[in-house]
Amino acid sequence: MENNTMKLMMSGAPHFVTSYNIQKTMGMVIIALLPALAGGVYFFGPRALLVTAASVVSAVAAEFLFRKALRRETHVTDLSAVVTGVLLALILPVSSPLWMAAVGSAFAIVVAKELFGGLGGNFANPALVGRAVLLMSWPAFMTRWSPSLHTAAVDATTTATPLGILKLGGTITDVMKSVGASGKSALYLQMFLGNRAGCIGETSGLLLLLGAAFLVVMRVIDLRTPIAMVAATFAASWLFGGDPVFSVLAGGILLGAFFMATDYVTTPVTPIGKWAFGIGAGLMTVLIRQLGNFPEGVTYGILLMNVVVPYLDKIIPRKFGFVKPRKVNA
Amino acid sequence: MNLKTFRGGIHPPENKEWTRSMPIERIPTPKSVVIHLTQAIGAQNQPLVKVGDRVVKGQMIGDVQACPAATVHASITGIVKKIEPAPQSNLKDGMAVFIEADGTDETAYMPPLDAFVCSREEAIKRLRDAGVVGMGGASFPTDVKLAPPADKPIDTIIANGSECEPYLNIDYRTMIESPADVVEGLAIAAHIVGATRAVVAIEANKADAVPVIEHEFQQHAHGMHMETVLVATKYPEGGEKMLMKAVTGREVPSKGLPFDIGVICQNVGTLKAIKEAFADGKPLIERGFTVSGGACKTPKNLYAPIGTVIADLIPDVIQMSDDVRKVIFGGPMMGITVPSLQTPVAKGTSGILFFTAAESKQFEERQCIRCGRCADACPAQLMPMLINAALLSDDLNRADAIGLVDCFECGACSYVCPARIPLTQRFKLGKDLLRNQRAKEARHGK
Repeated sequence: MENNTMKLMMSGAPHFVTSYNIQKTMGMVIIALLPALAGGVYFFGPRALLVTAASVVSAVAAEFLFRKALRRETHVTDLSAVVTGVLLALILPVSSPLWMAAVGSAFAIVVAKELFGGLGGNFANPALVGRAVLLMSWPAFMTRWSPSLHTAAVDATTTATPLGILKLGGTITDVMKSVGASGKSALYLQMFLGNRAGCIGETSGLLLLLGAAFLVVMRVIDLRTPIAMVAATFAASWLFGGDPVFSVLAGGILLGAFFMATDYVTTPVTPIGKWAFGIGAGLMTVLIRQLGNFPEGVTYGILLMNVVVPYLDKIIPRKFGFVKPRKVNA
Repeated sequence: MNLKTFRGGIHPPENKEWTRSMPIERIPTPKSVVIHLTQAIGAQNQPLVKVGDRVVKGQMIGDVQACPAATVHASITGIVKKIEPAPQSNLKDGMAVFIEADGTDETAYMPPLDAFVCSREEAIKRLRDAGVVGMGGASFPTDVKLAPPADKPIDTIIANGSECEPYLNIDYRTMIESPADVVEGLAIAAHIVGATRAVVAIEANKADAVPVIEHEFQQHAHGMHMETVLVATKYPEGGEKMLMKAVTGREVPSKGLPFDIGVICQNVGTLKAIKEAFADGKPLIERGFTVSGGACKTPKNLYAPIGTVIADLIPDVIQMSDDVRKVIFGGPMMGITVPSLQTPVAKGTSGILFFTAAESKQFEERQCIRCGRCADACPAQLMPMLINAALLSDDLNRADAIGLVDCFECGACSYVCPARIPLTQRFKLGKDLLRNQRAKEARHGK
């Protein structure tokens, strides 16, 4: 019969695969970032969207053109460039020139990611590399902060971030004044809601945690690293005599812990490695804040830990069958 | 409900509903069969018959004086037409005996043997003479498995009714349709190894088999020492080591064997074969399997003589749709694709799946994004992404150090990988490369 001529396909087991793929993973990260982006628009105005658009378009275009130029397969549909673009925008001031956002994300994609082999090959978080480069290249633009549109206390067009105020010698009371809070708990609340000066997407702990909760429910991220990073920040700043709650809510700790320190490619895969990465990143951040010249240290804290990931990945957990031999009762 | 299980594992679509309620059908005696002389893990058998010989159903036709090895028998009565290599479901394409039926229904079974009266040696010999092997897929000779070294006492025997491979229902149907055979086989196996605990482990999606089996316990003289354990529906729950962990909490040590922890596991189909070998003197000459898959128009459960060629079942017993692209012997997770429909049913064939082009889709492999899903899924608690990275950089020693050989190739990591990395496939290859490298080192080092 005709079966003898039929060509059957040969392949190694398994012959079954989940429908879950990289695109869906990245799609979920994008969804999880939307609350923070919406918060950015609410607190700093529609220009936040423009900065994000510039960053995303540049990231996607940079990846597409770079791979085309190298005659390699393009993978922009996996949405990883979009994630990098959004993440970078969320850690820029709303007043950033659009060209600067575009340059930053193109640098992030080409230098931090594609030159290392593309998604999966990079050792450092591309968005953070982009931000670090912009901070070194155009420090004035990168430290020009707008107050939240919903802060009644001040009518200035530029202000300082809570961490910036402290770095310049201000006190918590000055920070309270900057966000129009009357007491410490009111300050915490305003900071948790996101009603303060800062990068587009970093200010609202509430909205960031909302997105992170989605990623946890969808089993996209592991909570070990963020918990370790937040706890380390809390503990270290308390040891330095600072206000631990303020330290966690200020700057980019929550955005960094839940969306940067959970980046698959540039953080450890081993369980102990994840704890160590989080603790290290939190510690570095506080050290930079307390002892360095910069008011904020999340970017460098995480980037520094990115470098030691290969070592943290050597801490392999116990494998099945590696138990002490059972006593055999004869 | 707190079901027993192991750490890791996956939940692929079960696709069992197509054949779940279909009673096992016995196919009409085929006109010819192709019986491979070596169907089990172990030594290569030699033929005991010549071309032109008349063989009788149940007659031994292949054996070798070696251990481990499993004898093979004629599954139909007829004439030996030729003895030559033939396509085999393990792709080894070994020597096979082609038998053409002569239309008679003669059998040459052994006399019945009471496993509870005969000596242990006699019982083990009976299993060897009957050619019983593990029918879950690995085809390990049962006489070897039930005769562990004297310094490894066995206290627990587990009847594996987990059947965690998607699509397959043959173990479930065997439990539902022949619970007495399964329980008797379990009693015999427990008696042979001297186990004091006998457990039938069933996945929660087959919980309706529990009362059926428990009812049989009540009818059986040894039934009061037996119990059922409901385990979580999860792949690879039916993997021997996983099931032992779930039922007893003990882990087979790395590079060790189940008897190191005093446990033996037998597939329920094997237990039925053990019972038949003793009560009926019948060797393992036929088996049940599930026929399913998207390109199979007639999903069903079948009993067929060992050596039945699939092409001979088409179209009277099995009908395929035109877009069939892959034929898999076994389940979708660990089964083997065969290049030809001329492949015969073997002792280890638990299922035959016909997959459409859509079901056989190949994906582009992307770079690992280190999402960690493979590590979450790995029942061996390995870090597949790191082993993959080591293999990609040709670092076999590193791969070995982080557990390459502890992989039991269940396929869970490949299944979950969002980058579509053929992890399991690469690890199988890596193991071969590692074995070669170690052999080379041994040659040159000394």
